[in-house]
This record gives sequence, structure tokens and C-alpha cells, in this order.
Amino acid sequence: MEIKTTETGDVSVLEIQGHLDTNTSPEAEASINALIEGGTSKILINFATLEYISSAGLRVLLATAKKLKATGGDLKICGLNDTVQEVFDISGFSSILAVSASQEEALASF
Amino acid sequence: MSASKEKPTILAVDDTPENLDVVKGILADEYIVKAATSGAMALKIVEKQPPDLVLLDIMMPEMDGYEVCRRLKDDDVTRGIPVIFLTAMEQTTDEAKGFDLGAADYITKPVNPPILQARVRTHLALKQSMDELQAAYAIIKKHSERMEQELSVGHDIQMSMLPITFPEKPEFALHACLQPAREVGGDFYDFFFVDDDKICLVVGDVSGKGVPAALFMAVTKTMLKTQAADDPSPASIVTRVNDDLSADNPASMFVTLFIAIVNTRTGEFCYTNAGHNPPYVLRGDTTECLNQRHGPVLGAVEGVAFRESTGSLQKNDTLLVFTDGVTEAMNTDDQLYTEARLEELISGNTNKPDSLTQRIIDDVEKYATGAEQADDITILAYRADAEPVAAEVALLQLTIKSDLKEIERVNTEFGAFAAAQNVPPGATQKVCIVFDELLNNAISYGFDDDESHEIDIEVAFYKDHLLIEVSDDGIPFNPFDRVGPDTTLSIEEREVGGLGVFLVTEMMDECQYQRHKNKNSVIMTLKLQD
Repeated sequence: MEIKTTETGDVSVLEIQGHLDTNTSPEAEASINALIEGGTSKILINFATLEYISSAGLRVLLATAKKLKATGGDLKICGLNDTVQEVFDISGFSSILAVSASQEEALASF
Repeated sequence: MSASKEKPTILAVDDTPENLDVVKGILADEYIVKAATSGAMALKIVEKQPPDLVLLDIMMPEMDGYEVCRRLKDDDVTRGIPVIFLTAMEQTTDEAKGFDLGAADYITKPVNPPILQARVRTHLALKQSMDELQAAYAIIKKHSERMEQELSVGHDIQMSMLPITFPEKPEFALHACLQPAREVGGDFYDFFFVDDDKICLVVGDVSGKGVPAALFMAVTKTMLKTQAADDPSPASIVTRVNDDLSADNPASMFVTLFIAIVNTRTGEFCYTNAGHNPPYVLRGDTTECLNQRHGPVLGAVEGVAFRESTGSLQKNDTLLVFTDGVTEAMNTDDQLYTEARLEELISGNTNKPDSLTQRIIDDVEKYATGAEQADDITILAYRADAEPVAAEVALLQLTIKSDLKEIERVNTEFGAFAAAQNVPPGATQKVCIVFDELLNNAISYGFDDDESHEIDIEVAFYKDHLLIEVSDDGIPFNPFDRVGPDTTLSIEEREVGGLGVFLVTEMMDECQYQRHKNKNSVIMTLKLQD
């Protein structure tokens, strides 16, 4: 897994590449927490280069969404491949997280 | 009685001493002749030492010859002594009376020396033959009782070793029967699963009969089952069992054997025929004879390398294995039942194994009506009842330590395996998620000690699906035996616990949990779209 972070306006965009699972999720969570602790309240996670996500990854997304919501911020997600989309659908995450097709669409929705 | 004496003893009974002298004169050269002048005296001599033959005058005062004869014949000890009446009377009624009393012969007086000598010689010889026959009969009777008993013990051992509960599975139907012969026997059959899918079928015929044959059979059967437990090749199983049987076989017994290991899912089977009569595969209207031979009978020669052949069964095909008791059953004209008759009977078979085996038994019985069954009749039939599943194209097997870091290795290796088989990326990703979920659960929660454990992973790639199995020796735990999470809750309410297994069950087409031999086993199927 590789995480690339860029800033677009007041939104931090994280591009997570590879897979988000048992072994990579702690690192992803640490990166996100560092951003939040640094004052970021709007985060967009771009999964365009993510192959798959397991429940360990979903746990990080849920924790992040809860944290940002508590501080009045927001988490948005974009770029799901079919498998990640299916995991989101099965788990119900499609309806509790704001998911957009593209990064532009997602940025526009903040 | 006095057979060991050099000369047989003759007792002559007559109330006229001159007559006794005549008889003595004729017989004294060849026999010891004792004389009695009355019936009472005769019986006393007989009681003291029974003679080999009695010459008896009929007309005597006080006790006549008839009475003496009756008393001799009434006594078990003296009944066998031949009695020849010597009499002047020639009336046929008297002769009849004497024969009725058990007399051996009649000689009329005056006595003709050569005739007396000839009759005495004849009746002594008859008596001796009779004694020998009786002795022989007593010995035979004693032995035969012992043999019957031994045959019956052997038979009991034989029958007690045959499995009679036939597995009921959607993939196949199986039935076997053994009709024991009264004497010669030694047939056996066996069947047992060697793994989840493969069943081993065995039909054998041990030479000999009775307890030794039954014990040899028991040993053979046990050895086969033991070897088959960790050896997937019939040729190799038979080779090893033959070496063990031949190494210590003072009685030079042997066994003809057909052994097949059938994959109940794919219908493929591998078999070795060791001196056994060829079985058949019945496919609709065609009857295929499996006439390949892979080595001699078992137990005869050590160090033989047996070979094996393969075959496959489609849905409704039947593998029919039997012993020569079927084809060599004889009718009352000593004609054999023959392969030809069997082939005609089973041609175009649509019967299930139980009715097929019964049909053959009935037909052989009908053919052999009136003739004694000379050999055991054994028939085993296996029918494939499901469309065969295509054989796996590729197999990935991994064993990892119970360490979360190992999950990465699993998914890297599986990724390479899937790419090599052109598994679509979506399916590969799903399986990676499944491994992540199941292995994380097993490693984090599945073991109640701090030891390092091993987890086995197997992925079989078929043309249209993947079969995935994950097994561990952790605490018994069925991951599918839980209620899924409520996926309709809001962010604040949601917990992620239980989500992993839910993802697995939703993404895989079939999920199954098994617990056996201290192992948790999760078996999943994922269909692959073209």
C-alpha cells in the first residue's frame, strides 16, 4: 500500500494504492490521524488505484468518518472499483459514507 | 476284536461231538477252533472271549441254535460276529428264520469240506472289511465334525469383516453382497473413504477355506486399508501389501484382488487388478471390460512392482466388480455360468447397484438350481449418480504460521497463481479479501494458547470456479454460525465487528464449515464468469 497526500483548497486528498487490509490498515489509519491532528477536517479518499478493501480497512474509514463528523468536518470517498464498490454495497457503507464517482465530483460536494 | 491274532478263532457249536470233530478236522489247519456242545456253553465262551466267527447247529436240546443266534445279535459286543448255521434240515422256512435272526450263511450237513472252508474264509474277510470300514467311518465322522466346526468359524470371521452399511451420497450409489459357499470360500469386499471425495473399493478372493483363509483375508483387508490411508495410488498400495503378505506366508496362501480409488466428484478412478477376474464398466448400452492386468495374485511373490490404470465414470455409469464364484457357478450338468451369460444379463443395465447385484445373484442361483454352490459369490457395484465435476486445472497449497504478517504472503502467492490461470481481477480481489478476513479471525481469535500454529490453505482452480479451503487446528469455531451485522445503522451506531465474515458469505457463492479431527475447515466456492 502506498498513500499519496495532496491538498486541494481546504480538502486533504489521500490516494491509497494497493490494498487496505489487516496489515496495511494501521499505517493508513496513522496517516489519516496525523492529518486530523494537524487540523484537517475535510478529507477525500481517492480509491482509484485501490485493488481491494477488507473489513479492517472499512473499520478505519468508519473511525475516520466518526472523528471528522464529531469535529464538524467530513469524509468523502471516490474512485471505487467494482470489488470495492461491492464491499461498500454489502457492508452498507455506500449509504453511510458519501461516495462519488470521480475526484472532481467529490471535491465539488464538500 | 481278534484281528491282531495270527489265526482267527472259530467257535463251533453242536450237541453231537462227532460233528464237532468233523468241523475241527476241516478247519484246524487255518484257524483256532473252539468247541461247545450246548447253547449255554457257547454263550459262555463268547462272553469270555468273542470268536471271529460262529458255526452254529440249529437242533440242540435246552437252547437251540436260533436262540443262541438271537442272543448274540441282541448284544452290542457280539452283534458283529458272523454266524453260519450248520444244519441237516433243508426246509426253506428254516433258512428264512435264520437269516431273519441275522445269520450270515447256511451250510447243510453233511458238510462238504471245500464249501465250509470257502464260506468261512468269505465271511471272515467280510467281517474284517466291515470292521475296517467302521473304524474308518468313525475317524471320518470325527474329522468331519471338526472340519465343519472350523469352516463355520472361518465363515463367521469372514462375514463379520464385511461392511454392510452402504454410504448414501448424492454423487454415487454403492452396494455389495457376498453369498457364501458352504465349504470353499474366502471372498471379501470392502469400501472406505480415503479423503472427502475419494472412495476405495476392494474385492478379493483368498485361496483356501476355513479359519486360515479367513485370517489371511482379515490381514489383507486391514493392510490395504492402512496403506490406502496415506497412499493415493492403488499400484503402490498393492505393491506394499504384497511385499508384507509374501514376506511371512508359510501356508503359501494368496489372494486375487481388484482395488479402485474413485473420485466421487469427478468420476475418475484409478485401479489395480492383481490376478482377479476383470470387472465391467456399464455405460448405457455398452459394456466395457476392464481387462488390464497389473500383476500376479498377492502373497505369492515378493518384490513385484504392480501397475495401475485409470478410467472415468460419467453419470449413470456403473463399475461392476465380482469374483469368479459368479462366472464359474456350475449347473447340474457341470457347465459354467460364464462371462458371456453375465454380460448378456447386465447389458443395457438401468438398475441401481442394490437391484443390479440382486439381479445377478438371482440369475446365478436360478442357473445353478440343484447344484451345490462351490465357491463364494461376491458382487460390488458402484454407480456415478451426478454429472462429474471437471477435474481441477491447477492447485495452490500453502501452509502458513499463525502470524498476521503471513496474510500478505498468502495474497501475494494467490495473486500470482490467479494471474497464471487468468482468473478475472474481480474474483482475485474477492478471494484476497476472504483470506484477509478468515486468516485475521483465525490468527487473532482462533487459538487459546501462545504457541505458533499452522494454517493450511488450498485453492483449486477449475475451469468455471475456484474451490478454496482454509483449515486450522484452533478452537472449534464455525464462523458462519452467527447473525450478520445490521448494515442499515448510521455512522454513529455502526460497529465493524462481524462484518468480515459477512463479507465472506456475501462474496462467495458457497460457504461451508466442517470440524473434523481437531481441525476447523472452511470450504468456499466462487464461480468464475467467462
